[in-house]
Amino acid sequence: MFKKLIDNSTAKSPWIYHINAGSCNGCDIELVAVLTPRYDAERFGFKLAGTPRHADIVVVSGPVTSQSKERLIRTLEQVPEPRVIVSLGSCPRSCNVFKGSYSVEGPLDKFCHVDISVAGCAPKPEAIVLGLAQAAQLLKQKREEAAQK
Amino acid sequence: MIRFPYVREALTQVFSKPSTEKYPFVKKEAPENYRGRIKFHPDRCINCGMCIRVCSPGAIVRTVEKQEDGDLVTMEFHMDSCTFCQMCADFCTKNSIELTKDYEMVASDPKDLIESGTFLKKKPVPKKPISDELPPAPKVDDPEM
Repeated sequence: MFKKLIDNSTAKSPWIYHINAGSCNGCDIELVAVLTPRYDAERFGFKLAGTPRHADIVVVSGPVTSQSKERLIRTLEQVPEPRVIVSLGSCPRSCNVFKGSYSVEGPLDKFCHVDISVAGCAPKPEAIVLGLAQAAQLLKQKREEAAQK
Repeated sequence: MIRFPYVREALTQVFSKPSTEKYPFVKKEAPENYRGRIKFHPDRCINCGMCIRVCSPGAIVRTVEKQEDGDLVTMEFHMDSCTFCQMCADFCTKNSIELTKDYEMVASDPKDLIESGTFLKKKPVPKKPISDELPPAPKVDDPEM
């Protein structure tokens, strides 16, 4: 009885965790702008979680630098399944202008499967809202698949 | 006398609309000169390669396939690698690259973020060999000459 209630409530409240893997901070401030009252992603239930262990959606920004690679892998391991990984901006997808640098180990899909990518440098907050909405839908799908097993 | 400095402000806030943008329900148009999704017009491109030269992240890939009557050129614009600086469009002499106002670039499949176009660059027609005969002299009708 309670399980259904919990499932319904968790579907409407996906928590995000944000990892900065060597980003220039452009995408990060756009993500923070999304959570402010102007673009208010919190009306869809998104909430910035303080720890990866509480998160459902992981938002990664920045090309994966060699300093942040270890931390990124360790953080992603702590996120419970089912999880959705969203890449924010061009950097995690392809390293953007930093590709070929000695200190960049990306792109992100070397280390994990990227479910949804939001393009733009930096993406417009509306695009991030759309990406997060798609991520929430995908998360719901993944949960249903996990429940059937 | 007791003063209530914020009463007016509070009352206007209570009866005014929230400042939140109702984004997914009401679509908002991007501002003027916004640099969004790339649109490529292959019919205008002349394969000069200037866009590839000025692209700082190297997001443009050109593949050339040799054919009988010319080269089959495919230009791919990888928008997941793009900085949206518009240098390619500025340097394009034929205006074949356009950055539209579409900002909703969200994809689960990375192939959705590639804009590509193919066109045939024809070989130049060989010029006719110049004949040894001299062209006929122009007629002079002017009586004063």
